[in-house]
Amino acid sequence: MRVEATVRLGRGRFTELSLLAWVAALALTGFVAVLATETSSFSPAAVVVPLVFLVLMVALHVFLVSIRFRGDQLLLPIAAGLTAIGLVLVQRLASDLLFQQLSWSIIAAGAFAATIVVPRDLTALARFKWTWALLGVLLLVAPLLPIIGREINGARIWIKVGPGSIEPWEAVKILLVIFFAAYLEEYREVLSHSQRRIGPFPVPPLPYLVPIVAMWGIAMLVMVFEKDMGATVLFFGIFLAMLFLATGEAFYAIIGLALLVLGGIVAYQLFGHVQARVDTWIRPFDEDLRFGTGYQLVQGLFALANGGLFGAGLGNGMPDRIPVVWSDFVFDAFAEEAGLAGAVALLALYLVFLYRGMLIALRAPTMFLQLLAAGLSFIVALQTLVIVGGNLRLIPLTGITLPFVAYGGSSLVTNWMLVGLLMRVSQVSSRMRGARP
Amino acid sequence: MSPISANIRSLTLTLALAFLVTSIGATYWTVLASDRLANDPFNPRLIAATNDRPRGAIVDRSGAPIATSAKTDAGYSRSYKDRTLSQVVGYASTKFGLSGVEAAYAESLIGQDPADPASIWRARYLGDRGPAGQVILGIDLKIQKAAADALGGRKGAIVAIDPRTGAILASVSVPSYDANQIVDRSKQESAWAQVTADPGRPLLNRVTQGLYPPGSIFKVVTAAAALETGFDPTKKLRVDDPYQADKSWGDYFVRSASHAHGLFDMADGFRLSENIYFAQVGLEIGAARLTDYARRFGVGSTPKLDLAATKGQLSDSGTIDRPTLLADTSYGQGELLVSPLQMVVRDIAPGPIGQVISPNTAKTLTAMLVGAVAGPGAFAFGAKIPGVDVAGKTGTAENRPGQAPHGWFVGFAPAAAPTVVVAVIVENTPEGGVAAAPLGAQVMRAALGK
Repeated sequence: MRVEATVRLGRGRFTELSLLAWVAALALTGFVAVLATETSSFSPAAVVVPLVFLVLMVALHVFLVSIRFRGDQLLLPIAAGLTAIGLVLVQRLASDLLFQQLSWSIIAAGAFAATIVVPRDLTALARFKWTWALLGVLLLVAPLLPIIGREINGARIWIKVGPGSIEPWEAVKILLVIFFAAYLEEYREVLSHSQRRIGPFPVPPLPYLVPIVAMWGIAMLVMVFEKDMGATVLFFGIFLAMLFLATGEAFYAIIGLALLVLGGIVAYQLFGHVQARVDTWIRPFDEDLRFGTGYQLVQGLFALANGGLFGAGLGNGMPDRIPVVWSDFVFDAFAEEAGLAGAVALLALYLVFLYRGMLIALRAPTMFLQLLAAGLSFIVALQTLVIVGGNLRLIPLTGITLPFVAYGGSSLVTNWMLVGLLMRVSQVSSRMRGARP
Repeated sequence: MSPISANIRSLTLTLALAFLVTSIGATYWTVLASDRLANDPFNPRLIAATNDRPRGAIVDRSGAPIATSAKTDAGYSRSYKDRTLSQVVGYASTKFGLSGVEAAYAESLIGQDPADPASIWRARYLGDRGPAGQVILGIDLKIQKAAADALGGRKGAIVAIDPRTGAILASVSVPSYDANQIVDRSKQESAWAQVTADPGRPLLNRVTQGLYPPGSIFKVVTAAAALETGFDPTKKLRVDDPYQADKSWGDYFVRSASHAHGLFDMADGFRLSENIYFAQVGLEIGAARLTDYARRFGVGSTPKLDLAATKGQLSDSGTIDRPTLLADTSYGQGELLVSPLQMVVRDIAPGPIGQVISPNTAKTLTAMLVGAVAGPGAFAFGAKIPGVDVAGKTGTAENRPGQAPHGWFVGFAPAAAPTVVVAVIVENTPEGGVAAAPLGAQVMRAALGK
């Protein structure tokens, strides 16, 4: 695990800057390629959109240099590269949404900068853990409220804000990690060194588990009422991962997974929308499903098949055959036009992101910061695995966004705040280690 | 070293493994399953390839167009000339995929040779395709029209085959649908909703996919099995309606349609279509022998064909496991189900296809089937054609109680050296086989040019 070269701390942030040059190349060629296949005449959007985006990214870089920020230099270029791929794909798949997505990335950049500056002391986050828990619950319940709540595509997870709508659970996932990290740091000892065992199984001291199980239970209940399997799986995953990180008891995770499968079976019996998802996953090609609930998945698999090793080329495939491709099926769309090579490269970007995030966690000075960084990195990895796995028919499809790439404002903004937090943690680590290579 | 560092490492490793599995999944769909999915008839890319260039034509045996592509403002569009061939020719819709011949020859029709794997790669990466292929069907539009006219609007199916080549000369399935609407972007949604909701199931090709009890036409199979088992066709059997073999049948009886009492030989059995006669024949030769011949005649196996076809069944369990079922199966009831195509291809007409019995047996059977059409009091008299010996057999297949029976006719002509074999089914007709026989004659006349 030697990547010291990239975290060497000089005055400038040259690694970051040189990697952003690659992002610039990617964004420009992507836009030009897509527009070249769409229109014969030259469109100014081909240059304007990627330029605005690149100016934005360079501005973030300059901002970090100007405040002498000394954290990680890889996360910003990775997030920028993924966002650039996202913009190219929005232009390719739903060009009428392009300016909306560009506006969201400007807001996301602002939120990132704010996260870098605002919490003066990260450890202070831990002190207000009950505030975060309360805020999270409020945000989760908000879509169920009559006036501001909204149901889109059968899931009631939106709230109306001004002309648009946002998905509050995207923010809740970060609040959940902060709360868990703070709580588990405090009670880790009691949870992981339980004296009582039944056979090989540790019996956790129940009173200490109550708050986290309650927090998780509220999240699950609300998600059942809001009919969003993706978020439910994500929350459950965060819960299990944090518990495992703090205690090291794989047993908790195994029991948790068993409960998830059990819950899935019960939900399959009870809820029509769960049953449809599972049936579609098991036999999408069957005659009764391929034109019904299986249509989207089957079209996605056709797109993948058309991709082959090197893809059809940007703008040359037919991913627009997949309904709502820009939100749920961007991975398949990207794989059709960039091929297996592009798809694996995309996955590799997320893997590097995960690796950097976990490295930051390992180097963090306090357990709270360790849990925080690991939990945040875990979110990005799990979200990627769940949606890509769904697109590839490895697991049932759930409507969760591909981080940074899929169309959607709430997701983009919260993920950029997540990057901000991770970089803040890395800065604390580098200060602690004396800031000299 | 923090106490949770090891946990962070384990979690990272687990996630990294999950990423590995995901990459393998991506490899599977993009590379390993790619060729299969790329040529799936429902893959819109196959059809889209013909939006900017003409799709190959589908023509009848003399080259008369059945499906063609013409240039419109929105690219090339497909038009289908003969509604009576809708289930055979199928459709090529970007929205609903391909069916019928359009699906079976999907690659040739867009200029991609399925026998040349390199052409698939050339098409995918270079957009380079050969000229679109033309598909020539065995269908003869003249015979097709005669078959469609014969059936009129009645639900059912007619199929005619040239036994010398196996070519399908005509294939009609009613009700039908208009494939032009399925490929028309402005109408396709409502048209699709309509045809899929229609209780008459117009998308179903009744010739290959319709399953019916064969009724008396199956007696041909029983007779063939008996003749080749050494059963003497001139031996007279006693027929007394109602019939049961022994008391163990309880209150179960085989009934004679004409409430017959008397002595019957095999020719009489065919001419008067006597159930009790054939039930006794079946019981005498046994279940194993009948099962063997039913299989030889193709019951329970999918016919070799470019189109979707069902295999039918000998019985619900696949075997004849009790005497009453053996008796019922012998005259074509019981739990038998066949498609019209199975009843025609497996006929006894001499020729490269179909003949699964010895020439001698075929000769004896043919003579009796000529008698079933032209003999005194024959049920299939409606199939007579002046100046030509017609061999044939009617069937009146009982189905659910309270519904009128299905009328069958299978036959071939000229009896000595057939050039056309035909199967007709008319659903729910009170006259049964008597109604179907003249339809068979009309089709055979068109084929023979009489």
